[in-house]
Formats: sequence, structure tokens, C-alpha cells
Amino acid sequence: MTTLNSVKRDAPLARPAPHKMSFVWLGVTPFFLFAFIFLLYPSSTIAIKSFENTTTGAFTINNFVHLLQNPNLVNAYWISIKISLITSIGGGIFGFLLAYSAIRGGLPPFMRTSLMTFCGVASNFAGVPLAFAFIALLSPSGVLTGWLRSVGYNPYFHGFQLYTFWGLSMVYMYFQFPLMVLVISPAIDGLRREWLEAAENLGASTFQYWRYVALPILLPSIMGTMILLFGNSFGAFATAQALTGGSINLVTIMIGAQLRGDVLGDAGLGYALALGMVVVMAVAIAGYTLLQRQSERWLR
Amino acid sequence: MKRGGRVWSWFWMILGIIYFFLPLVATFIFSLRAQKGILSFLAYQQLFNDSGFITGFSYSVLWGILTIIVGILIFVPTAYWVRLRAPQFRTAVEFITLLPFVIPAIVFVFGLVRTFSHPPFLIVNSPALLVAGYTVLSMPYMYRSIDTGLRSIDVRTLTEAAQSLGAGWATILFRIILPNIRVAILSGAFLSFAIVMGEYILAQYLAKPAFAPFLAYLIQEKAYEPAAATVISFALTWACMGIINLFGRGQQAQIAGGH
Amino acid sequence: MTHLTLSNISKQFAETAAVQDFNLEVEKGEFVSFLGPSGCGKTTTLRMIAGFEIPTTGTVTIDDADITNKAPNQRNVGMVFQAYALFPNMSVAQNIGFGMQIHRESKAAVKQRVEEMLALIHLEKKGNSYPYQLSGGQQQRVALARALANRPQVLLLDEPLSALDAKIRVQLRAEIRAIQRKLGITAIYVTHDQEEALSISDRIVVMYEGKIEQVGTPFEIYNFPQTSFVANFVGTLNTTVAEVVDPVKRLLRIDGVQLESSEVMDGKQKGDKVTIAIRPERFNFVAQERKANVLDCQIDNITFLGSVVRIQLLIGSNRFYMDTFNNPFLELPKIGDKAQISCSREAVLVLKD
Repeated sequence: MTTLNSVKRDAPLARPAPHKMSFVWLGVTPFFLFAFIFLLYPSSTIAIKSFENTTTGAFTINNFVHLLQNPNLVNAYWISIKISLITSIGGGIFGFLLAYSAIRGGLPPFMRTSLMTFCGVASNFAGVPLAFAFIALLSPSGVLTGWLRSVGYNPYFHGFQLYTFWGLSMVYMYFQFPLMVLVISPAIDGLRREWLEAAENLGASTFQYWRYVALPILLPSIMGTMILLFGNSFGAFATAQALTGGSINLVTIMIGAQLRGDVLGDAGLGYALALGMVVVMAVAIAGYTLLQRQSERWLR
Repeated sequence: MKRGGRVWSWFWMILGIIYFFLPLVATFIFSLRAQKGILSFLAYQQLFNDSGFITGFSYSVLWGILTIIVGILIFVPTAYWVRLRAPQFRTAVEFITLLPFVIPAIVFVFGLVRTFSHPPFLIVNSPALLVAGYTVLSMPYMYRSIDTGLRSIDVRTLTEAAQSLGAGWATILFRIILPNIRVAILSGAFLSFAIVMGEYILAQYLAKPAFAPFLAYLIQEKAYEPAAATVISFALTWACMGIINLFGRGQQAQIAGGH
Repeated sequence: MTHLTLSNISKQFAETAAVQDFNLEVEKGEFVSFLGPSGCGKTTTLRMIAGFEIPTTGTVTIDDADITNKAPNQRNVGMVFQAYALFPNMSVAQNIGFGMQIHRESKAAVKQRVEEMLALIHLEKKGNSYPYQLSGGQQQRVALARALANRPQVLLLDEPLSALDAKIRVQLRAEIRAIQRKLGITAIYVTHDQEEALSISDRIVVMYEGKIEQVGTPFEIYNFPQTSFVANFVGTLNTTVAEVVDPVKRLLRIDGVQLESSEVMDGKQKGDKVTIAIRPERFNFVAQERKANVLDCQIDNITFLGSVVRIQLLIGSNRFYMDTFNNPFLELPKIGDKAQISCSREAVLVLKD
């Protein structure tokens, strides 16, 4: 050990001596331990068990095969995808228009701050309370329903139903468009005023500016955020459960039912369902991240 | 935008405002209708007398506070360490903090229940699991908030200055770093609190008393009390966000799950 | 016939008058700089020519056509922005061709013009590159090409070089001037850098707090500043207050020393106080050459600046600077020495304010 001391003095930030490495590990151990026990291990359990035969424990992909053969489950995926597509595109467009109006639309500046605050709250106000708020609004005994009926229009006579796919979509919009507003705002900020002026200076009309400059520049951000919205809707559970009592066939609802009691009759199927969900979400997040990186390159 | 454009801006804003406020106004009006014929706060009175509400609400507050404490205890030292001494772990840590986005709450609780309802880890009935679960859910926001706070102070120089004056790690963390990232921690804390207060899935499937499952039960059983509870829930979320905004100097407000 | 005329232009923002009483006539092919400190109104005036601001009063005319209220996308003036403002989603070639594309020119015409422009700015091989792949100087050249590709009547440049390194700035400003000369296009150039303005302009408009202080050639602005602002902003200057001794004989007194000026002093009377200014390079030691005015001074400090030696001296209670060319074989007085310096009558300027 004395040889170590006789080595010539290095600069202070040189490679630390071996015993220092373990010290560094120590600092992040609590975190990794916590993450492993309560996040990684339970998640990997799902992944592993989804490839296991429930009775024998042997490796199999039958769970996924059965999933694809089960019309109820395939239908659940389809409906989940449908509602996510609708609310991500609809919420995305509406959110974008709202954000742009507040930021670049020539409105008084307090509108922007108010909008951001409201959106921060609204994107949080999801789940059970949100479901009830819409019940209070548009159920057969709801406030708006009553008001509309008093002026002679009964929406229920015209085919409106709250506890259905379309009713749920409407409710989902409530936390989708604020999410869009919040996430797309920095991108809109990044749209430099000089680009508009340069385009005008070169003879472009407002429409041409949007078509050739602004929308192409914003497209990666918009698409990326819509994908985020898609994932957000796909993974939503509490709102649907509280509004429809589990009667609507969504993947999340199915998983919840499976948790409560083995409604599928096959535990492996439940795991496959859950893993399938994670895969969809992972693809969504990956897509979002990639598109974000692209837009950052332009909006530096 | 020019004159014509401004009309459209107002149009979209007003539309947004209507869509945003309509459900809230409706809920509030609904909550005042408990007494036939007149508007009164009867629903609120009944709610506050309901032991279920008191239990659910208090427990949620408790879970929220515990989650914040656990979060601070785990995430602050970790974020500090990663920034200062172990930058090589940065990618791994950030990846983990973003996992809760990829794993929806319902899948997460599915994993928790399946994993921890068999021996030797039979802790599925313990409140510790619930708090741990909540900590995981709040991780993206709490960790990110703390990390942002650390980024804005020169951690290295502060640490070296403290060390040169003889301070040990605990002193540095709690008496120098922590006070300087107070705002960031509070921001993350209030966000976590809002998440926990509104969280339904974990509490329901881990069978623990909480506000949101109680609200779900209320919707099935009562007519007007759920409205009162919803109003309270919304006011609470609003208060949390408002306080965060007071701190955050124009930082992008964050988005929570719980749906 | 003037090409570009600004007549009685003023711009009011809430309580501030950003620009007042602005009158200017620019000939075709002239290169005019607006020079002044931040907030003097030069960029606002430029933007009024471009159409991004509408004047509160006054008119803007190009080639006898009144464009004061025309929308910016209908004026055919080319603008080069300080922050380049290249469209990040388009390649260099697409950026340059954008204006022509908007005007629905044929693909072949656009292609040819883009090639011409790329050759003009010496970036022939960069047509397919994207803005983020180019350096600051290259991006600014592309911005210039984009503005010129559209064949504008007037070229407007808003501090185009202030975001660039010093060396590139010097190189690029010469290029800009060369291109402008070659194309014979009228140009308005906004800058706060007086060296830049002096080196490339046909005429300079010095502005301060929204008003024109002086208009003239670089030679006139530098050697015959009319107000103390211009004198102080452009180059170094010695200024002090002097008392008029004899307005007809043009004699002044500072600190008991009498000076003779060549300036006309109409309207001044004996005893009036005026501000006089003398450029540091107009002094020399009496030992070298004795001119009309001789002043006793004490050497306070000597700074060696390379090709120039700057001597700080005290004339009575006035602290003056004197610049002399570096000459290794000329013996200079030492700090604390007393010396005699002289300057000609023409060197003593009397400022209007």
C-alpha cells in the first residue's frame, strides 16, 4: 500500500482510487433499490408471467395468441385505440388553436397566463371527480340538460347518451386539450416572429406563411404531442370506470376487471393484456421523444 | 396576427372557456340542489357529517404527506448525487423516472397486486405499499422538479465551499442544498399532493381508505353529496396549482395522472 | 429624382415618441446608414420602410409610389434581419427561392436565380444544406441572398452583423458593400457601430432619441460634427466649454488660453459660452510643427496602442487626449513633463449645442 502513496501527485480531478468507486455507488443505491422493488420488479413480473403458461409455468406465447383470438379483448383494444385517436386528434387540434390564440393571437397577455393556469388545473382534474362533473352537467337530470329542456330542446330525444363511447370521448377531451396547450406552448414560443416578418417581406400571405413555414416547423411538435395525448388517453382508467361503471369495453377496464376477479378465466391472458398495454405506451412515448428531438433542432 | 386573426383568437378562447367552465359551474349548481326548491349548502353539511368522507379525505391527506416525505428523502439525495458525483448514472436514473409514463396506473397496480400478494412478499395489505406506489407515481414530477431546482444552483461550488468549512454530507444536504431548492421541492410536493388526493386506482385496488374511492362510492349511493365532494376536490386541486404558480416563475405547469 | 423618400415621418408608441421629424431623400443605388445608440429610433424607422410598423405621421415613397400604408408583403423591399431569420425547415436553396416561389415564377427561373445568388455569396456548394448546419456568417450571407433573389427595389439591413465575431464582421461588411455596388441597389443599413457605418456608407444618418442629429458623408460626419452628440458618438473627441472673446475674429478662451477657430460664429457675442471640440489626432507637439494655436500642457499619461500613441494631457483644468503616430525614433516627453502642443484653426470645432 505504501507504493500507492509514493505515486506522484495527480491533478485533483484525476481518476479516483478504487475504494472511492464504491462510495459513489452508495449514493444512488437507495434510489435503485426503491425503483427495483416497487417498479421494476412488479413490472417485470407482468412481462415474465405473460409468457408463462398459467398451470405449468413453462414458456409460451399462447397467452398472446389467445388474446388475439378473443373477440372481446381485440374489441377492447380497438375501442381503446379509437377513443385515443379521436381525443388525441380532436384535443390536439383544439388545444393547438387555443394555445396559439393565447400566445400569438393578439390577445391581452393576461389571457395567456390565465390559460396556462387553467390548463394546469384542468389536466389534473381527471378521474372520478371529472366523471361526476359531466354527470352533473349532462346526465338526464343534469344542469345543462335541464336548461336545454327548458328552452325546448331535449338532447336525449335526439339520440344523445352520456354513458357511451361518445360521451366518454367528450369527457376525455377535458384533460386532453389542456395537456396539448401546456406541451405545445414552448414550441409556439419558439416560432420566431422574424420568420413571419421574413415571409411577409418576401411576399407571402398569411396562408402561405402557415403552409410553407409555420406548420412545417411546428409539425414535429404537434404530432409528437398528439402521440403523447394518444398514450394519455390509452392508459386512462378512473374516468371511464367512474362514468360508465365499467360497461365500456376498454383495455384498462378489462385489466381492472381482471384484477377484481379473474373474469377472463385465465391469469396468463391478464398478463398478456397488461404487457400489450405497456408496449403500446412505450411505442407512443418513443415516438413522442423522437419527434421532440427533431423539433428541438429547428426551434433552437 | 392582424385584425381578422384576432377575431378568431377570441372565438377559440371563448369556446375553450365555455367548455372548461361548464362542467364546473354545473357541478356547483348541482351541489346546491340538495334541498328541494331552494339553493342551499345542505349537501356540503351532509358531506361533512359523513364519516366516510372524513375518513377518506384525512387518509388521502396522510398518504399525500407521507408520499412527499418519502419522495424528498429518496429523490433529493439521489438527484444531488447524480449531479455532483455520479453523472454516469444520469441516463439510467432519468429513464427510470420516466417509466411511470409508460406504465399506466392500472397496469402498475396490477403488477403490484400480483407481485406482493404471495409470500414471501405478502405486503399487499400494508399501507407502506400504497405510499410506495404513490411515490412511484409522483416520481416523474417530484424528481424532475428537484433536478430542475438543482440545475439552477451551482451545486458543485456550494458543496466545495461547505466542505472547506468542515461540513459533512448530512449537513451539506440538509442545511445547504435543501434550503436552496426549497421552491423546487415545494413545487414538486404540491404536485404530488394533488396527484395523491385525486388518485383512485391504487387506493381502490389496494383496498385502502382514500378520497377518490369514497367519491366513487358516493356517486353510486347519493345524488347531491358527490357534487359537493367534487367541488371540494376541484377547489383543492386549484389551490395546489395556484400555490405552485406562486412559486414557479413561469415554469411550464406540469401535468398529472390519476385518470 | 430620389428613389426613396421619407417625409415628415414620426412614430408614437403609447407615451414615447420613438421617431420624430424624420426627413430623408435617398438616391438610387445609394448606401445610407442609420447610426445611433440603442433606442434612438433607427430600427423603428427601418421597419416603417419595410411595413412592419405604420408611421403615425408622414409618408414613405419609393419611385414616386406612396407605400406608407401598404402591407409588408406587397412592398417588394428586401429585409435582412439581425437574427438571420432563415426558415429552419427549408434548405439554403429553398430559402433563397422562397420569394420567387411565392410569386409563382417557373421552376427553371427559380433554379437559375438561386444558382446566381449562391455564386454571388460564394456558397455554391451549400445549396442543399440546412441553416443549422451553417456558421453564423454563412447564414447571414444566405439571408442576404434570399432578400436579393426577389429583386427588391430597396435593400434593408437591420444590424445584420452584430451577432457575429469581429473578424467576420469586417470581412462580411466589405462583401455586403461589394454586392450592393455590383447590383446598384439602394440600401439602408442600420447599425450602432460607428466604424462599420464610416467604412461602408455613402452617407450616414446619425440619430439620437428619435431625431436626426446630422446627415452627411462619413468624411463630413467625422471631421465636421455639428452637435456634441455626433462629435462624441463618432470617434474620440475632446470637448470643453469655451468663452467667446471676439465673434468676428473668431477668438475663444479656455482657462485663460486664447484659441483661434475657423468656424463662423454668427449670432454669438463676447462672453457667450460655447462647446468646442478638437479631434485628438489634430494636435502635435510644437517641436514638430507650430500651428496657429499653441497650448501649454502637462503630460498626465501615455498609452501605447500599437500604431498610435495616445497621450493624456492637462490643459489648465481640462483633460484632453492627443493621438500621435507611433515613431520609435521620436522622443516623447515623460509623464509629469510640461510641453507645448499646437493645432490649426480648422481643428477647433464649435458645436451647435
